Amino acid sequence: MKRIMIDATKCDGCKSCTIACMQAHRDTPGTIYDLDLTDIRNESRNHIVRMEDGSYRPIFCRHCDQPECMMSCMSGALTKDPVTGHVQYDETKCGSCFMCVMNCPYGVLKADTATRTKVIKCDFCIKDGEEPNCVLSCPTGAIYVKEVL
Amino acid sequence: MNQCYGCNTCSSADKPLEGFIRELPMETSHHRVDHQKTKCGFGLQGVCCRLCSNGPCRITPNSPRGICGANADTIVTRNFLRAVASGSGCYIHVVENTALNLKNTAKSGGELKGLHALDRLCKLFDIKETDDHKRAEMVADMVLADLYKPEYIPMELVEKIAYAPRVKRWKELGIMPGGSKSEVFKGVVKCSTNLNSDPVDMLVDCLRLGISTGIYGLTLTNLLNDVLLGEPALRMAPVGLRVIDPDYINIMITGHQHTMFVDLQERLISPEAIAKAQAVGAKGFKLVGCTCVGQDLQLRGAHYEEVFDGHAGNNYTSEAVLATGAIDAVLSEFNCTLPGIEPICDRLKIKQICLDDVAKKANAELLKFDFAKREEQSELIIDKIVEAYKERRGNVELNLLPTHGNDHTLTGVSEDSLRTFLGGTWKPLIDLIAAGEIKGIAGVVGCSNLTAGGHDVLTVELTKELIAKDIIVLTAGCSSGGIENCGLMTPEAAKYAGPKLRAVCEKLGIPPVLNFGPCLAIGRLEIVATEIAAEMGVDLPQLPLVLSAAQWLEEQALADGAFGLSLGLPLHLGLPPFITGSPVAVKVLTEDMKELTGGQVIINSDAKETADILEKIIEDKRTALGI
Amino acid sequence: MKHVIIGVGAAGITAAKTIREMQPQADIIMISEDTYVHSRCMLHRYLSHERDEKALSFVPEDFFEKQQLTWFSGKKVTHILPQTHQIRLSDDATLDYDKLLIATGANSFIPPVGDFRQAANVFGLRHLSDAQRILAQAENAQRILIVGSGLVGMDAAYAFLEQKKQVTVVEMADRILPIQLDETAGNTYRKLFEAAGCHFIVSRKASATVMENGRITKVILDDQTEIPCDLVIVAAGVRAAIECVQDTSIKSERFIEVNDYMQTSDPDIYAAGDVAGLSGIWPNAMKQGQTAAYNMCGFPMQYVDRYAMKNTMNFYGITTLSLGRGIVQDGDEVILKEDHSSYRKAILRDGKLDSILLQGSIDYSGIYQYLIKNQVDISDKKDRIFDLSFADFYGIEPDGQYNWRI
Repeated sequence: MKRIMIDATKCDGCKSCTIACMQAHRDTPGTIYDLDLTDIRNESRNHIVRMEDGSYRPIFCRHCDQPECMMSCMSGALTKDPVTGHVQYDETKCGSCFMCVMNCPYGVLKADTATRTKVIKCDFCIKDGEEPNCVLSCPTGAIYVKEVL
Repeated sequence: MNQCYGCNTCSSADKPLEGFIRELPMETSHHRVDHQKTKCGFGLQGVCCRLCSNGPCRITPNSPRGICGANADTIVTRNFLRAVASGSGCYIHVVENTALNLKNTAKSGGELKGLHALDRLCKLFDIKETDDHKRAEMVADMVLADLYKPEYIPMELVEKIAYAPRVKRWKELGIMPGGSKSEVFKGVVKCSTNLNSDPVDMLVDCLRLGISTGIYGLTLTNLLNDVLLGEPALRMAPVGLRVIDPDYINIMITGHQHTMFVDLQERLISPEAIAKAQAVGAKGFKLVGCTCVGQDLQLRGAHYEEVFDGHAGNNYTSEAVLATGAIDAVLSEFNCTLPGIEPICDRLKIKQICLDDVAKKANAELLKFDFAKREEQSELIIDKIVEAYKERRGNVELNLLPTHGNDHTLTGVSEDSLRTFLGGTWKPLIDLIAAGEIKGIAGVVGCSNLTAGGHDVLTVELTKELIAKDIIVLTAGCSSGGIENCGLMTPEAAKYAGPKLRAVCEKLGIPPVLNFGPCLAIGRLEIVATEIAAEMGVDLPQLPLVLSAAQWLEEQALADGAFGLSLGLPLHLGLPPFITGSPVAVKVLTEDMKELTGGQVIINSDAKETADILEKIIEDKRTALGI
Repeated sequence: MKHVIIGVGAAGITAAKTIREMQPQADIIMISEDTYVHSRCMLHRYLSHERDEKALSFVPEDFFEKQQLTWFSGKKVTHILPQTHQIRLSDDATLDYDKLLIATGANSFIPPVGDFRQAANVFGLRHLSDAQRILAQAENAQRILIVGSGLVGMDAAYAFLEQKKQVTVVEMADRILPIQLDETAGNTYRKLFEAAGCHFIVSRKASATVMENGRITKVILDDQTEIPCDLVIVAAGVRAAIECVQDTSIKSERFIEVNDYMQTSDPDIYAAGDVAGLSGIWPNAMKQGQTAAYNMCGFPMQYVDRYAMKNTMNFYGITTLSLGRGIVQDGDEVILKEDHSSYRKAILRDGKLDSILLQGSIDYSGIYQYLIKNQVDISDKKDRIFDLSFADFYGIEPDGQYNWRI
């Protein structure tokens, strides 16, 4: 499967990935220039944590081999695609119980801020057909896609 | 869940304030630190360029140049020069208005409270006139004439004010400034798109802007203020949120242009105004000091005991001052009036009035100060504030903190009041330094920010470390507001000093940290340094004197810093000014500057380490002086 | 190989999927009383008319075809015959198995209060069939009494409040959601429910009933308060569905006994989910089903991820995460933070996290279960207990997956 690999030492905390993700998942059509950065509905699936020592830790969904999120989903909304290996989320099925938020051992998941009815979960930008938008936007190569077994 | 807006507020050196803010039901800047904690590394290093439509370009190992070809050095120094030019522009705006207000007052035969200061200026400026009003007008005109000179004509007063050995060096370096406003103009031209790409040339320009800022924006603003508003006199004063008396109609003042309040502050204590206040159930009006203009008023508090309640706090205390509910209006004329006070004012029905459109707040009423209409404007302001008082009192809950701060902070320290206190000469201080009873002097100046450990955290910790090393601390700027609220400017604070400094303080009954007031008073520290150096017969870089803008916040502070460097002083900064992406900028500022002006930048966010470094510098200078 | 799985809940379905992954050719037969695969945690959404039967499913519509599973729905297993490796169904049909998984779950427990067990208008809320029967009566019922304010009770209350019914919740404990929440956190929900019209009576038990024409018309509490009602939902806990093993040699008491491999006392019979009594929550049931499946296919695997004191809830847009028992012992350190949009409480024991309650935002909170489960020493980080993130324990495997660095 393809995974977004992380080289945290290269991360500069610019949050280009964060904005790219918001842009990729916005409800309204538009460009990065008119992305409403004050609209709480525009949420990123990734986030960057800055450490005390000034280093950065990118927190991105791993689409785990053994996805704990999926293993806690009581609505069938989270499934691992047998072909791509990506853990996909079907918002229409979601029961908004957020067991997946509780169960992700890496604290990647969150409930959507605006309605608390959806999970904010990386979809690998499959609809765009290319590399995920976060990866395309990274200026330092801190995140890149690699085929892993 | 309770009413608190959020628990994740940043820390403050002022623990009671920290607790107060954490319990507030509204969001403040202290709450927002947490949400802004992941900072962009490009921004931090200053290597993001947005000067043209090819951008933003950012420097990475694989892209060491922007599309135009600018490398990290060019990008960083362009950004830096732009910041210093902006900062200089701010101070020049302040001195311009101050000089205009002095001129207009003099022309209209208004009161001049500081005739001694006027004498000083006339002596410096070689003015022979004897009529005080005419003399004041001439002083103001000479300042204005310099400010308005083109960039290619050197300003005349620089040589009259600045220390001769410094002027000599500045001439050698070719950094004698032309007209202050033109220097700002040139600075912003230089750093625009595809113009200057020479990092050293741009950094040298920063020094020129520093001199212009320091001599005019700082030193002269103080002296002009002294003429109009009265000279500082030593006294003990209350500080902190305790100064707010809810029985009065309270006006929080923010900004840097004290001369805009001349008419209003007299009128607020007129029988007519008091009658208006009493008619709505208040005892009268009080000004509550906040930010530097509050420090300015505190400094001259001896002249304003009736109208001025005291200084409540610095820039990042302003939200807490408002949150007490006992402030009825904010009168602002400059920075540091945080945008974040606007929703708080809305919520607590606090009237916001701006006196200068450069600092027009989004939901404030603009009543641009007009000297000719000052009386009418003052009346209008009073009426609007009375109206606000009527609307809000009783409807807005009070949340006072009467235990905050202390009631005996030593204020009113200036080059003049301190010299007078010492017996009219700096000799006693020089003797103490020579004898090692005082190891050296540190100016802890500039702003507060929320990121160098938290609100005032580095400032206060560093100050404590320095005085423990027998280094006397002089303050100017929001650092004063933070340090005084933490009690270090009370005589009892002598106990935090090292044994020698403590003994000196206890003998003289003074605190180990002396409060010179607003950031403008960095100019006063320059005078102190110059006078001491002159008495010792040395140049400024030789003095056992260091500066720290530990919690510098803004572009103005960078312009101040450039002044400090031009004076040849070691300048500590708690956080780097977005320059670390440029090896050239770092080298010039931290190393090469020693050869250029004698100054140097030291960047360190640890109080202990910084104190050790500064102590070492002071000791080295002592050794070189043979003391 | 012929695998028979009784039950189409979290454990049964997960087991079937797992077996299919490992043994593409095996026969897999599933038997259930349920006629729809459904998520019990969403039954309230059915009662509130937000979802129909199909929308309660947690598997794709073509799940049984795709996975090549034979499903006998609407059938009860009446007997298990371990000696002959057979089971008998309610219609007397008999099925052979090589490996059998019992994942029958649990049924609501209706306490013997007054005529609760006889009345036609008293229901538990455990199966879709319960919900269907409730719905059939709910239309004409205005006054709903809910006994028990656990998650099921509150779910039911939510559903009826959505339909503007008069809802009364009676709770024995002195606060609502007593297992998961402390008083402060419970009160947040209590206020929200009350704002929606819910009436709560705490520290009281139902002690008697008044029945007319086979229906309860009043429930009388232990302080003699009378509560008139048209419909009663009893949310007072569940009992494992172990009828099918009761006259067999398979060891059971309240639950079917299993070893670390989810194996019962009969080596070819496994049990998983609520019926095994290890934990009553969904993620654990799935893990147990998965573990049983591995073992049924001959790949020995132990059930290790046993931590069960965990739950999340989400009512009226307020989310809560509750991990641990939340009970403070001598020597524990309790850290509290509260503001207008959140309430957070952590209990530390010997420098390790014992319990945590996060109400308001539960963003990125997945790390806390790991910290508790693995008893990670966080004494040096306790000042930032609510601000911890995986960044504090950040490790990356060569294949890009994260690992915990402690």
